[in-house]
Amino acid sequence: MSHDSHHAPVASKLELAPERSDLGLLRPDRTTGWSDWLTTVDHKKIGILYGAFAMFYFLVGGVEALAIRTQLIRPDNDFVTARMYNQLFTMHGTTMIFLGVMPLSAAFFNFLVPLQIGARDVAFPRLNAFSLWTFVFGAFVLNASWLFEFGHLAGWFNNFEWHKNLVYTDFAPANGWFSYAPLSGTFGQADASLHAPRFTGVGTDFWIIGIQVLGIASLAASFNFICTIINMRAKGMTMMRLPVFTWMTLVTAILIILAFPAITVALIELMFDRAFGANFFNPSAGGQPILWQHLFWIFGHPEVYILVLPAMGIVSEILPTFSGKSLFGYPIIVFSGAVIGFLGFAVWSHHMFTTGLGPVPTAAFSLLTMAIAVPTGVKIFNWLGTIWGGRVRFTPPMVLSLGFIWMFMCGGFSGVMHSSAPADAQQQDSYFVIAHFHYVLLGGVLLGLMAGLYFWFPKIFGRMPNATVAYIASGMVILGFNLAFGPMHYLGLAGQPRRTHTYHAGFGWETWNFVATIGAYILGLGVFISFVNLVWTAFKGKKCASDPWDGRTLEWSLPSPVPEYNFAQAPVIAARDAFFEDKHGGKRIGFENDGGEAGVHMPSQSWMPLLASAGFLFAGFGMPMMAMGVPHAGWIVITGLGVLIVGIWLWALEGPGGYMLKTPAVAGSPAPTETAAH
Amino acid sequence: MFSRFFSRVGLLATPILALVVAGCSKADMNVRQSTLDPKGPVAQVQYDVFMDTVWLVVVLFALVGGLLVYAVIKFRARPGDENAPRIEEGHGNPLVEIGLITASIGALVIIAIPTLSAIWYDDDVPDAAVPTSKLAAWYPRVEGAKENYAKVVEEQVLEIDVIGKQWWFRFEYPQFGLTNDNKRSVPNEFVIPKGKAVRINLRSEDVIHSFWIPKIAGKVDLMPGRKNHMWIQGDEVGHYYGQCAEFCGDSHAYMLFRVEVVEPAEFAKWVQKQKTDSQPVAAGSKAETGKALFGTKTCVMCHNINGNPMAAGAFAPDLTHVASRKSLAGAWLDNRDPKAQLALEQKDKNTESSVAVDNAVLKANLIKWIGSSGVATGADGKPTKDVKPGNRMHFYKMFNVAGLNETQQKFTDHELDCLAEYLLTLK
Repeated sequence: MSHDSHHAPVASKLELAPERSDLGLLRPDRTTGWSDWLTTVDHKKIGILYGAFAMFYFLVGGVEALAIRTQLIRPDNDFVTARMYNQLFTMHGTTMIFLGVMPLSAAFFNFLVPLQIGARDVAFPRLNAFSLWTFVFGAFVLNASWLFEFGHLAGWFNNFEWHKNLVYTDFAPANGWFSYAPLSGTFGQADASLHAPRFTGVGTDFWIIGIQVLGIASLAASFNFICTIINMRAKGMTMMRLPVFTWMTLVTAILIILAFPAITVALIELMFDRAFGANFFNPSAGGQPILWQHLFWIFGHPEVYILVLPAMGIVSEILPTFSGKSLFGYPIIVFSGAVIGFLGFAVWSHHMFTTGLGPVPTAAFSLLTMAIAVPTGVKIFNWLGTIWGGRVRFTPPMVLSLGFIWMFMCGGFSGVMHSSAPADAQQQDSYFVIAHFHYVLLGGVLLGLMAGLYFWFPKIFGRMPNATVAYIASGMVILGFNLAFGPMHYLGLAGQPRRTHTYHAGFGWETWNFVATIGAYILGLGVFISFVNLVWTAFKGKKCASDPWDGRTLEWSLPSPVPEYNFAQAPVIAARDAFFEDKHGGKRIGFENDGGEAGVHMPSQSWMPLLASAGFLFAGFGMPMMAMGVPHAGWIVITGLGVLIVGIWLWALEGPGGYMLKTPAVAGSPAPTETAAH
Repeated sequence: MFSRFFSRVGLLATPILALVVAGCSKADMNVRQSTLDPKGPVAQVQYDVFMDTVWLVVVLFALVGGLLVYAVIKFRARPGDENAPRIEEGHGNPLVEIGLITASIGALVIIAIPTLSAIWYDDDVPDAAVPTSKLAAWYPRVEGAKENYAKVVEEQVLEIDVIGKQWWFRFEYPQFGLTNDNKRSVPNEFVIPKGKAVRINLRSEDVIHSFWIPKIAGKVDLMPGRKNHMWIQGDEVGHYYGQCAEFCGDSHAYMLFRVEVVEPAEFAKWVQKQKTDSQPVAAGSKAETGKALFGTKTCVMCHNINGNPMAAGAFAPDLTHVASRKSLAGAWLDNRDPKAQLALEQKDKNTESSVAVDNAVLKANLIKWIGSSGVATGADGKPTKDVKPGNRMHFYKMFNVAGLNETQQKFTDHELDCLAEYLLTLK
């Protein structure tokens, strides 16, 4: 039916006649402004939205981090209370991982993967929108706990009847991003209403449901990208011609699909413990707290690679571009990425060396953890090999990429140090570990992602970020970062434990905590300046050419900003680094004759993904309220699930729709020089 | 642009390097909780393995980092490159790759071997240490004496049960009958004999805690529902600092403890002292008023004091010898004169030396601790600033079977003074 209602090709979607979906509702195809962004199924717009939300939450997490560092600037400080400090570090970790790095990586996946493989969109555009909005609502539920916390501090809730049930009144989660049971769970026996006493308050319930919803968003997106990369590659784009960033996206998506079910199960068990008196992790009823740690870390360790592989992919694109030569050892880089992903599932217990596993498992996980250093080292060697013999041009993305290699290498080295379980017995849960993973995740991943932003911003917006500001901000980031986290190696070895909101003078930690805090301020300011630079660029920056860096991959062959149909004609790929070979080698990009005069088929926009995701908003608010003892809150959960089901149902029934968009003729598009015969 | 970039990097690197060098000065290596100043075999082995990894990493860092810097400088773009022909493409070199992978594996084997040996060494008291460490080998056995231990345990090494609670540690010596069941447990500070291996049994009564004395041994967790163990040995007499290393809730940062390493003969004396009761208080003294308050304000519901028949609680720290301990409130409050302590540490050039308890400091600590904990609002009507937020003394409602209202729970300054005077008699 929907195919009968196709429009004639139009030059712009604004020229479309109003069209009704199979449900009889008007399709939002012709919308502009806010409703266009809310209903978009364009992978580029979704990517930009992911990026904008991620940068916002980076700033939120950064403010939390600065509050933490301010509290620690001197011994016995009372800038925040113990409870608030615990909430800050819980939300800092959770925000940076789930709301900062993962969505920023997702922004790159969304924007780049279809362009790099020569596709016009992802495999399931509406599912992609669903992933985005589910992430947005999950993030909102998680952070809404702060609103409740501030309301509580202001005394808003003190008159409610259910308030008397709250022995623990932490509204924002204060259980750490790892939420170890039984601190996050229950103890003793459940009462008649199936509520067992708990160590923490409703903040933990917000955390549980928030992470659960974010997991759904990540899973949906991952299935989408796997389908896209496997099925929607242009002719001639064989797997071994895929850009490395796309390869790392594929590995990351597979990791997410394999890792997130473990945390999903664990979260459901914890939720049942807290809301319905189950006893999975309640030791006084025979539950096993250690089970939580196994389930959490078999998700949590692959999660580390979920965070780092996209940044590795980005750097693997930038280094060849600015070295003027192709990636050294492409197959080995791809293979080692896959090996890292595989081994990532075999090392989770190195987070649990101090839990009394016994010598045999400790030894096994110690050796496996050392083994994962090999593929990681291989990547660094190959990046070095890429620079070797090249002509290195210094640009903001290149400087940040070199910073990535350097900082990531430092983080890898301290990782080797605590792969040795006996050494780790002294380092576990000390500031040494904080130093280690911030070198990996901030010095590594954040620098890599910032490099990616500076690298692809000209492609995304057609405008070039100011290089001088970029250098100054990057310099501040690198300097501030090293000042903040370098001394923490020493602090950890000097015995300062993590997650402690204060410390006494006399333990020898005063000087370096002060230095670390000053470093954190410089770092925070540097990141802020960088983000301001980027946002300013997006609106007011200097316009630039479509291929400002002498790019290598397919996206640089397109105009900037990229038109909504991406490729006017489907490309036919003849080599790895297709666009570079097209420019400088003999292997030209060909174009398929896919009926260009009929226009490009565009998917219709839809409200349904947004509607379905909104169900998670209700369910996400209702579940903690139910655990809090708010009367009838369970109905809010049921309403939310109802909205989700109705949203998906309408989505299924509205039909795919679509319209045809006229494209400009491809100037002098030659016949394919080499057809896809692989 | 290139030189500008590198002068910037140089500007950044110099202060960092200077700070690192300054940070490595010898004076900072033996701070109170330093892992770089091991004073027992377990910490020593862990330190040795750590240093193996450090040396390996320093060599690798110099090699890879050096090559990276060299490559970036050597292969930088130069003016005129724009017109140069395209760089000859190389797609990798299998021999180089295989060589580097093999070398990486070889480097890891260097640290894998000491790692494996240390994992087994740290797990439990080594057989070699048992002959000299078993009780029969060093503890003075006096027939019929009160401090004697049962004959069945004399072939065992000393065992200490560590029980973690939010937010303090309780220590029990079951071989000597010093247990909570016997109303003879030891909170926050425990004592071990010098040079003897000690087995530690780790138990938790609520959430996960972790037992860490950096100078003596790395940490092992106290897992509810599991029976973990470790072993420790202190080779130098002194006062050592430890801390809970697993996040355990609101006052995790305040969950500290101490261990005193003493000569074996001193240890026997200490055990004997733990079995004594408190002395009667003088009639008509402030302490007598305080002793009565200890009952009427419901302290006795949770705390045990041998020698005060009313005080027989089992939930909270045993206070029989509270005034003899160098710290209070989960070892967060230090009962020593801080200036004298720092002066001694500087004079002896180590942090294990300790001055004795200062009664004035102890009394001030007691008043601060009790005054903040028992009530939700202070005399001025504002919420009290807890020494340890969330501590169970705040939860008087849960245990207040005496039916006191909040006003009755509050202490006047005079009452606090009397109560502190009473507790000061508990040497």
